Amino acid sequence: MGFVAIWAYVTLAVFVVGCLYKAIKYATMPMHLRWELYPVAHEKGKVEYGGSYFEEVDWWTKPREVSKLGEFKTIAEEVLTLKQVHERNPGLWLPSLMFHYGLYVLFTLGVLLVVGAVPGVRGLPGLARLGGGRVLMALAAFGLTLATLGCVGLLARRLSRADLRRSSTPADFLHLWMLLAVFLASWASFFWADRHLAVAASFVQGLVTFRPVAGLPGWFGAEVVLLGIFLAYLPWSHMTHFFAKYFTWHSVRWDDAPNMFGKTYEQRVKKLLMRPISWSAPHIKGDGRKTWADVATKGGDS
Amino acid sequence: MANEPLIPSVRDIAKNAETLSPIDLKRIVPLPPPYDKDDPAEMWKEISAEKRSQIDASLDGVSALALKRPTGPAEEKRLLDGLKAGLAKLLSSDDNWTFRQQLELTLDHCTHCQTCAEACPIFVESGHNEVYRPSYRADVLRGLLARYGPGGNPIKAALQGSPELNWNTFARLAELAYRCTLCRRCCQACPIGVDNGLITHELRKLYSQELGIAAREAHTDGSVLQLKVGSSTGMSPAVVKDNIEFIDEEMSEKVGFTVKTPWDVEGADVLLMHNAGEIMAWPENPGAFAVIMQQAGISWTLSSEMVAYDAINYGLWYDDVQFARVALRHAEIAKKLKVKKIIIGECGHAHKALSVVADRILLGEANVPRESFAPFLASIVDSGVLKLDPSRNDFPVTLHDPCNIARAMGIVEPPRRILHKIAPRFREMTPHGVDNYCCGGGSGFAIMSGNNFANWRTLVSGRIKMKQILDAFAGELDPSIPKYLCTPCSNCKGQFRDLIRAYNAFERSKIQYGGLVELIVNAMADVKPGFLEWEFH
Repeated sequence: MGFVAIWAYVTLAVFVVGCLYKAIKYATMPMHLRWELYPVAHEKGKVEYGGSYFEEVDWWTKPREVSKLGEFKTIAEEVLTLKQVHERNPGLWLPSLMFHYGLYVLFTLGVLLVVGAVPGVRGLPGLARLGGGRVLMALAAFGLTLATLGCVGLLARRLSRADLRRSSTPADFLHLWMLLAVFLASWASFFWADRHLAVAASFVQGLVTFRPVAGLPGWFGAEVVLLGIFLAYLPWSHMTHFFAKYFTWHSVRWDDAPNMFGKTYEQRVKKLLMRPISWSAPHIKGDGRKTWADVATKGGDS
Repeated sequence: MANEPLIPSVRDIAKNAETLSPIDLKRIVPLPPPYDKDDPAEMWKEISAEKRSQIDASLDGVSALALKRPTGPAEEKRLLDGLKAGLAKLLSSDDNWTFRQQLELTLDHCTHCQTCAEACPIFVESGHNEVYRPSYRADVLRGLLARYGPGGNPIKAALQGSPELNWNTFARLAELAYRCTLCRRCCQACPIGVDNGLITHELRKLYSQELGIAAREAHTDGSVLQLKVGSSTGMSPAVVKDNIEFIDEEMSEKVGFTVKTPWDVEGADVLLMHNAGEIMAWPENPGAFAVIMQQAGISWTLSSEMVAYDAINYGLWYDDVQFARVALRHAEIAKKLKVKKIIIGECGHAHKALSVVADRILLGEANVPRESFAPFLASIVDSGVLKLDPSRNDFPVTLHDPCNIARAMGIVEPPRRILHKIAPRFREMTPHGVDNYCCGGGSGFAIMSGNNFANWRTLVSGRIKMKQILDAFAGELDPSIPKYLCTPCSNCKGQFRDLIRAYNAFERSKIQYGGLVELIVNAMADVKPGFLEWEFH
């Protein structure tokens, strides 16, 4: 097995494990106190102006109407149009939109290559054999064009706009430079090694079937190596916002479920109140043995 | 160049400089005529050199905490070690189960796109002072965690651009936690859901819960006093009953019939909880509530139990433990009284504290339903039980949406439903509802006035709100036209009192401020006309 294939396996594994680790970490954190922020997208009939069930007299006696469709619409609008950036940060919107759409297209291309590489997939008669087809080539060119222009645009904005430059961390620049390197290597591979993605298709098929192909063109190898570095790095960066948004929105901003209706809350909270506390300030004097229940029910008056 | 904005980086927070990023009064948001002629410099107060030798004001020349410099290296080390220990506790599922998930999601996912920046009234009002940028304090915290927190290392620190932790960083970050009103407009704007307001909340917690450093007005004179004597106003149960009795007498005289506030009625339908500051500073507010409750035939009561006659819960702003202590007392007393529900009076943070943030820690029968005054009053007005004459409110009225009632709870329509029925000349501010601007006194600022903090509140954090108010009354700013700023929140009222006074807006434009219940009672046909008094206080 060649280095490139091993590299692909290792970095993909790091990517998947890293993302899973982070997602599981967020998902298994203790239940937090409520911290919702309006508008809450699932408030049926009230979301347009940001209203909530708290607007009703005796709200706890009335059935809650939660619109999953409302949540879906809000997330879809944000993902597909970058609404907030468009409205509040218009200078960044076009490059950001191009960049994200470029990634969506390239991700779709990747999915097609993987699906096409699965042996025995019916109805998709070996997308690997479509390596010379126009669809994959067009998707690659289109996706790479959008992503590269978007990436360059974002870098240019970050470098030229004083507020963005000042508030960017070294990591913010590193991410964009890494991505640009991946895109440039992909262009080089596209032009000089794999215009019709035949190499990519067979490489992916080799990975999927655990029969990696050897003798890859140099530019294609460079593309895979750089992409691998980026993917292995991604879970440890802020770029996991592509899935973290589920938690920030669904589990925090929109988590307005009242205790009245959540029968599981009481047992969960009782356990949380038995957790030890070690905050050291004089009005708490947590020693790691006292529990939250201990400190919350006495003291605080001196 | 004098007019260029000051641009300290995150790393600069550790630098030696007398003032890292001073307030530039030439850059603050302009107001409409005739207020555009005012010289902000005349409203500003510098902290004296002598005072600055005692306390730290090196962030922006302002001091909210009156933080004293350490007495020596040992004291400094103790403080810095305490901050490092607190960093770890913020990320602990034991010490911070209350907010860990929200915090880590926010720490991990800011892309620094600055979509939030223009949503922050303080950043905008200050003329874009860099240290007020919503992401600035968050990045200082991220930087400290990358360098000194659990798993911190030099690579993380380099990628994050971490500052050094020294006294400058310690003191400036503590102050920086008190330059954000927790209005959370920045979070509303964030395409990812990053919550820089939460960072402010968590920083305040770190300093308070680990080091005992908090705003005196919120802690020693606030939650500690409330738990000790019953109210942050210092009123004991006996005093509060005396004061309410006096208010009842005043009200009876004003409205033309006997008003009597019931106390400790077991099994009442409603336990009404006021911010006790109203009883002291704006007695017409609890008085107007009593008039409405009585005339609407509501079965209601106040509680004279310690803590229960004051709905405030300042821990909401800076300390989870103090927060829990007060919230549990409130709920236990309601349970003991066997009331059907708690109605929270015109106090924004009390709404969020007891209805939202405390919701999941109120267990069993202590989980007494809580309701806002707004839908409650709207239902009374809708029922027709009160005879209302809107012509008594024939003057311009605008509404300030308290952040904790609108943005944090989604209560937007009920106060408007009432105003449309009782105030024929009601008009909206722009923006309003869940998009409103904070009054500038949020998260406890309205009760904080030490050193030059009150000047900062009126010139920086509250200036956009002042502009909104003036814009809402555009064309009618002449003092011959009385105008009413309806602000159903005690904390906001404190800020508006200071804003109107600082800008001399009562004398110049006759802008009065007050609650919603006062406006309702002013429109009640069976009440003697002239309930509202057009005297500024």
